Amino acid sequence: MALVGNIKDFGLSDFLYLVDRGYKTGGLHLSHEQETALLFFDKGKLIMAARKPEDQQADLLVRLGLLNGDQLDQARQSLSTQGNGATLTQVIVDSQIASREQIQSVLQGFTEESVYGLFGWPEGEFRFEQNQRPAPDAPVVPIPISVDHLIMEGVRRIDEWGRIKDRIPSTDMIVRFLEQPDERAKGVKLAPEEWRIFARINGKDTLAEIARKTSLSEFDVCRIVYGFLTAGLVEVRKKPPVAVGRSAADAPRVKKSLVNRIINRIKGM
Amino acid sequence: MQTVKMVISGAVNAGKTEFIKAISEIEVVSTERRATDDTKMIKKETTVAMDFGRIAIADDLVLHLFGTPGQKRFDFMWEILSEGMLGLVILVDSTRPETFRETNRIIDFFVSYRDTSYVIAANKQDRPNAWSPDELRLALRQPPHVKVLPCVASDRDSVKNVLLELLYVIQERSEE
Repeated sequence: MALVGNIKDFGLSDFLYLVDRGYKTGGLHLSHEQETALLFFDKGKLIMAARKPEDQQADLLVRLGLLNGDQLDQARQSLSTQGNGATLTQVIVDSQIASREQIQSVLQGFTEESVYGLFGWPEGEFRFEQNQRPAPDAPVVPIPISVDHLIMEGVRRIDEWGRIKDRIPSTDMIVRFLEQPDERAKGVKLAPEEWRIFARINGKDTLAEIARKTSLSEFDVCRIVYGFLTAGLVEVRKKPPVAVGRSAADAPRVKKSLVNRIINRIKGM
Repeated sequence: MQTVKMVISGAVNAGKTEFIKAISEIEVVSTERRATDDTKMIKKETTVAMDFGRIAIADDLVLHLFGTPGQKRFDFMWEILSEGMLGLVILVDSTRPETFRETNRIIDFFVSYRDTSYVIAANKQDRPNAWSPDELRLALRQPPHVKVLPCVASDRDSVKNVLLELLYVIQERSEE
């Protein structure tokens, strides 16, 4: 079943997070005014991105200077003799027409740039077709691309307070790491300023305090933390109020017998 | 007579009124008024104060169900309703991703400061374009221990299941 929505309401970075954590395979179709885009994912990782229909075709490999026309024809012929599941790029690597590293480097750069441009869309319809796969001769990257890195880079291009404030409504909020951030952070390349903030996250300091300690503006700190947040590295929470008397968090626990009585009654309804 | 309270919250048109109506033993006291803001684009009548339902557990014990108003301008009611609640059901319209952000704001409000027992009910699972509970968990960024349950608020058994799952959460945290 397709997942549909608008990136105005459920941002592209949020959707990429869902694809990543849900290990989703399928095609994400996006449209904004006259523009369209199609992204393919395999088990949560990006394998292809096309901003124009011709970018979904094998000819892209020629346009990017990876092959000449004859080599592409040769690869296509080889592909036609292969069984189900074979891809054109794999055939090219196996036939030693071009090296895996060369194809990866050029196609990954092209794919990433295609996605980064989408983060600038203020709105746009999306439809995710689960288990949709690219055509066998489509220019897919040999090694799927981690989405974490794309999210971080995409968020670097966001410069609107509005979107950031949606997730970080106040600089009085504290930042803390989620489970095993070091493991997840391995796939994320951080810029020096981002490292400065990353190193200051202690679960106690507010965003305003981090801004003071790093001499960065509150906007920059919030923007960078928004990136960490979107990539699922950290969470932001309101600073707990200073307890006066008994706080709500210390509310007395209910008796098991009372809960059991309610359970039995609801079961019997 | 002892009364205990459960709160049913969620964004506008998530299905709170329907949820309470499906299980309440009394006619739901619903203070519906014609919507005056942009919610009228979604439905003609929306809850501007609260819904109230009741289930008699025994002669000496009653369960009250309170539905919170969905619109932001009634936030102040949430604080009042949440005082002393036994648990919380967050209803989400699984077919409208544009409400997920607002749902997160509601979860944050009820859960940030309090040690609240809660479950998330992924409502309208009978619709063809509904996001599944697993997808909603990711969309709402809820940790694995929080229950995200399939729900059809107009179906009594489905509502019963959500309430029971919430009660099991409360049971685990209750004292002997």
